[in-house]
Amino acid sequence: MAAHALLVDLGRCIGCQACVVACKAGNELQEGEANIRIREVVRGKFPNLSGSFVHHRCFHCADAGCVSVCPTGALSKLDGLTAVDAAKCSGCGYCVDACPYGVPKMVDGRVSKCTACLDVVATGGVPYCVQTCPSEAIKFGSREAMLGLAAQRVAEIRGQFPNAQIYGETQLGGLGTLMVLPDDPETLGLPAAPQVPALVNAWQKGIQPLTQGFTALGLITTGLAFLFARRNHRLETAARREAEAVAEKEARDGDVH
Amino acid sequence: MATSTERRVLRYLPEQRLVHWLGVASVLTLLVTGLALLWGPLSFLAWGGVSTLLHRGAALLFVALPVAYFVLNRTKGQELLKEIVTYNREDWEWLKGFPAYFLGRTTHLPKQGRLNAGQKLHHLGTFLAFIAVTVSGLLLWFAKGQLGGAGLAATAAVHDVAMLAVTILIIGHVYFTFVYGALPSMTTGYVSEEYARLEHARWLEEVGADSPASDAAGAPQSVTGD
Repeated sequence: MAAHALLVDLGRCIGCQACVVACKAGNELQEGEANIRIREVVRGKFPNLSGSFVHHRCFHCADAGCVSVCPTGALSKLDGLTAVDAAKCSGCGYCVDACPYGVPKMVDGRVSKCTACLDVVATGGVPYCVQTCPSEAIKFGSREAMLGLAAQRVAEIRGQFPNAQIYGETQLGGLGTLMVLPDDPETLGLPAAPQVPALVNAWQKGIQPLTQGFTALGLITTGLAFLFARRNHRLETAARREAEAVAEKEARDGDVH
Repeated sequence: MATSTERRVLRYLPEQRLVHWLGVASVLTLLVTGLALLWGPLSFLAWGGVSTLLHRGAALLFVALPVAYFVLNRTKGQELLKEIVTYNREDWEWLKGFPAYFLGRTTHLPKQGRLNAGQKLHHLGTFLAFIAVTVSGLLLWFAKGQLGGAGLAATAAVHDVAMLAVTILIIGHVYFTFVYGALPSMTTGYVSEEYARLEHARWLEEVGADSPASDAAGAPQSVTGD
């Protein structure tokens, strides 16, 4: 299936928190658990102030650090989104450290983050946040369509916000949560070029296969060598015992004479 | 094989054997539950977090055992540490002859003490890997969520490589145990005099087949070997 994406339009968001509540209710999240958080960022100096409500939720990266470190397959990529299978989660917490956005949280020993309501999407619906947003700031659809919509919106608000831009077109292989920003990402507290540390890849794609390979090599080598070594040891032991028996006999015979 | 009447030599005291087998239980548990996070086909063991609990329980035993042993047997512990960093000319000769020893041949090797050069290196490697795996393991347990991506990768990589070292050491340990029939030393505590003469001739000269320890243990001095 074609890649899906969410589009969060900060030019439209009024900070009402309806999406936060709908997400909690729809996904039956626990008290204190939240998959969307909204941060108010105020820029400029009085009286020339402007404010934005910056959404913090899973960015559904194409090159997702969390997916690459997840050892059990609890996190996986599905149609451009990052899916969660909580039953497979071991609670190891690797994803918490690996995410460049600090998104995944551990709740009751299980990973908790936005899944773009994949269960609802699977039945033809749209995520709860999209359903409930009163200012139509959150959209959901094919990534291509969302990028088109985002470009259109950026053009619309450029007059008012000269630095307006799309966020997530290229970051981390392309994000599944696109944003229309009224200003530079850094000004709004978003990293312009987030990265999964090279060490994470070295660990996952270098060290881990290496440990598996050397373990297998060790088992095969000793397994094969055992056949020869055991035989050699038997032969050597037999030869030594024979020599000792002969020597003993000679010594005994010597005593007699 | 010829049957011969053999004297036996006390090799390991009951408490040493207990520590050894508790160590085996903890390490095997740690290895399997750890592999669940490293090797896809075993990852189902980690679903739901059961293997995590087992891993931590076994980790406590894994760390507590040698620490307790060294605290309770300070002299023996210090002797062991000194022994595994001291290598004489015979040790180097032995190491040069290792390839043939690996394939079951011993006639070319010089007499060895309580530990042969390979066993010394084995213990030294185990000691170093123990420290690396314990420190990185404690970080992964208690500093999780504060390590960051690079920190997590570095810590986990150290943990993985240290456990690779432990795994290779264990494979070698089990291999030589069965090539040279050394298992009785850790089950009964005794080895045959023939085995002792073959593998640890200098040690046998020191303790003698009639060592007081074996008298104290009250075990029969003469048994039928294989």
